[in-house]
Amino acid sequence: MSENTLIGKPEIRVDAWSKVTGQAEYIADFPLEDVHFGYVLRSPHPHASIRRIDIAKALQIEGVLDVITIEDVPGEKIVGDIIPDRPVLAQEKVRLVGEPVAIVVATSKYVAEQGGKAVKVDYQPLIPVFDPVQALEEGAPLVHASGNLVSHIEVQDGDPKAGFQEADLILEETFYVPHIYPGYLEPEAAQAQWNPDGSLIVWVSSQKPFHDRHLICQVLGLPEEKVIVRVATVGGAFGGKEDSSLAILAALAAWKTKTTVRLVNTREESLLAHPKRHSGQLHYKAGFKKDGTLVTMQVTSYLDTGAYASYGPAVGQLHSEVVTGPYKVPNVRVDTYVVYTNSPIAGAMRGFGAPQANFAAESLMDIAAGKLGIHPVDLRRKNIWRPGDRSYTRVRINQAESLQLSLEIAEKEYRRLKEIPASPGKVSGVGLSLSVQTMGLGFRVPDDSAHALEWLPDGRVRLYLGAPELGQGLMTVAAQITADALGLSLDKIEIALLDTSQVPDGGVSCASRMTYSVGNATIMASRQLIQGLIEEAAKLLDVEPAALYYEKGHVVRKDRPDLAPIPVSEITSRLAENGQILKRQAVFSFPYGPETPDHLPIGMPHVLFCFGAHVIRVEVDPELGTIEPKEIVAIHDVGKIINRSTLEGQVEGAISMGLGYALMEEMKLKPDGKWVDNLTEYLLPTIMDMPPIIKTVFLEVPEESGPHGAKGIGEMGLTPVASAVANAVYDAIGVRVKAIPIRPEAIIKSK
Amino acid sequence: MQRIQVSLKVNGKKYRLETPPNRTLLEVLREDLGLTGAKDGCSSGECGACTVLLDGRAVNSCLVLIGSADGHSIETVEGLQKAGMPHPLQKAFVEKGAVQCGFCTPGMLMAAKALLDQNPKPDEEQIRTALAGNLCRCTGYTKIIDAVQEAAKELRYE
Repeated sequence: MSENTLIGKPEIRVDAWSKVTGQAEYIADFPLEDVHFGYVLRSPHPHASIRRIDIAKALQIEGVLDVITIEDVPGEKIVGDIIPDRPVLAQEKVRLVGEPVAIVVATSKYVAEQGGKAVKVDYQPLIPVFDPVQALEEGAPLVHASGNLVSHIEVQDGDPKAGFQEADLILEETFYVPHIYPGYLEPEAAQAQWNPDGSLIVWVSSQKPFHDRHLICQVLGLPEEKVIVRVATVGGAFGGKEDSSLAILAALAAWKTKTTVRLVNTREESLLAHPKRHSGQLHYKAGFKKDGTLVTMQVTSYLDTGAYASYGPAVGQLHSEVVTGPYKVPNVRVDTYVVYTNSPIAGAMRGFGAPQANFAAESLMDIAAGKLGIHPVDLRRKNIWRPGDRSYTRVRINQAESLQLSLEIAEKEYRRLKEIPASPGKVSGVGLSLSVQTMGLGFRVPDDSAHALEWLPDGRVRLYLGAPELGQGLMTVAAQITADALGLSLDKIEIALLDTSQVPDGGVSCASRMTYSVGNATIMASRQLIQGLIEEAAKLLDVEPAALYYEKGHVVRKDRPDLAPIPVSEITSRLAENGQILKRQAVFSFPYGPETPDHLPIGMPHVLFCFGAHVIRVEVDPELGTIEPKEIVAIHDVGKIINRSTLEGQVEGAISMGLGYALMEEMKLKPDGKWVDNLTEYLLPTIMDMPPIIKTVFLEVPEESGPHGAKGIGEMGLTPVASAVANAVYDAIGVRVKAIPIRPEAIIKSK
Repeated sequence: MQRIQVSLKVNGKKYRLETPPNRTLLEVLREDLGLTGAKDGCSSGECGACTVLLDGRAVNSCLVLIGSADGHSIETVEGLQKAGMPHPLQKAFVEKGAVQCGFCTPGMLMAAKALLDQNPKPDEEQIRTALAGNLCRCTGYTKIIDAVQEAAKELRYE
């Protein structure tokens, strides 16, 4: 590799200056001229049938343009991300608190809100169900007429029954995980503009503009060329902005009123109505031999996907694939039930089913270690995947050696942290856990990512990035990889606005797949762009392409070493004069090769894994039950560091989210029947909740299919946090917590 | 609704405006003055994204009724640059990687400025206390603490 490569450098984010000066435009910041405002009237009931919606009074209010209900939807009235089960606006019944029932469009947000209050909806409350296990019982209230079971994923390998006969120790444990809120600081927003030719431009704060376009077209019955989706600055997403509801509603409102309509959620709407992480109950039964060998595992999970499926079936699949942890288990039986309830919708959220599994599996390993009298590190060492091993889904494990490396570093850190004395009045404990997170969308799910590059007349390169920057640093990493591939400095790369009519489909920004997919595609496009440049230059110079080569922004003539290298701008500006554009597009397809096991349903298995380990020292106050994280060491194999600064940022941010999951966050149904709907009751970690020391350790075991060997990192930093905290709490005071968030009450009660 | 007259000095510039009295300082800054740097993350003082300085003090502008800002001096993120030069806090946030999605950034910067204006040499605990009302979901705060320390150093010409 050349010395002045950009790869690995902590380059400054390309969007940083616009963000520190307040110039970055989120949808709510757009100019106010000629904009109308929508107010979404939402259900106050978790489950009710709608007898009548009376909009007459609202329509009489001055400034109200229209009130839109499901009757106004010209195309598909019911859509979905995987299963079409979700009415665009409530149809006949509501299934969750916050479900959109009508949109009032008015000249100002105040008038729209007044209009919303004037809409009268006659509800007949129905009995709700909030527990996924109860929802599957006979006679449970039906959330959907089709039944409450969304999907049942069953996977088996080996002979679990025989496995239990072999086992010396059989453990049975149930773990509980909560619904949690992605909690991006920018609430969902969308703005749609109707044009006189019948087309729409829809601005979104979204992870998936091309899916948004698809769904908008379905709902409005429009061809895709009539709808342009553009992505504004996105104020965080974490999976939660894989939901198209607000984009669809804005488009519908603009289409119906033939105007421009902006919708911006309040924090309350965001908390109630947009997808969460699945809560659930996870039943584990595992068999170990005396020497610690894990011989069999049976896991039954009930995941609460709330009122609509969203990405629930896919979450259930990924969850199923990683429930055993990164361990070799010859006999496995997994049953995952994804279930409808009247809870808030659960869908995609950072980790996508893996954090739930990790909390259970890594807690279970420590419980087993205790019962077997084996050190938790040694028990893991005995069972981790080794090079050449296959998962129980029969996927050959990539970079399995990084698991062992992670564990070795974790062990050293564990021993170091054990030596640190507790603060006065506190008890110190150290917990460790391993982490496995998959990359990509799963076998037989379209998992392509297309991006394009254009060499501009001034010699700079425009990157048509086909998937959104969410705050994670995608634009910077993509620009770095592109600049490196073209031998240019980073400031020579500009990134085009993500407009679905201008950029290729880069897929959804999700699933720890962006650095990997975008990096690969931009390297391919760079090579093609250079080849195109040489061909065009050869024509202009009237030489054979073989007489030319490209180097760092210049075309060099092999046949005339006496001539100075020609700057690319001299060639591209000549092309521009002739009306020619030098642009190349490349598609990277996720490598589900011929050896991918094909015995599983569509979406399974995932074939690339990311590994890591976390070690956490906490201090517990035995009187108050409070838990204070003091130091976290996060060890992750990233294949290759592209940008150390944004990489650390991903892991540090994921750790704070993981600590929230472990210790404080929960979408809770309060005794008064209302969900928490504000940030006073739904606690997100503040700067005071972060431990004084966070240490990140990155391993670089290259993934041969990755750009420069890089793998994903978006999700993995969160996955092992809760289990490491729970294991540390046990280490401190001997209380085994099997439900998160771990609240002080649980500690005090268990003592 | 009867409108009230309000005088504000925002980033050194004087404004006189008429507005219904039930609006917040945040709404007036964003909607009337076009200063959209301060963000509305919760409308209830829980997230800190709307933080601006009112007479040098960090406030949640979503909780300040416009009438109570009458006659006062306001600083927003748009006023941080002086003569085209970035404030050391802006520079440090950029260089230390303290920015991700950026939605909390303007409020975070203003809360940090209020601290550094009062206390040029804060320790880590004081930085944490000063930023305790500003939520960030992306960064885990680590790099924000680094950035504030770095900016403090630069402001002290160290």
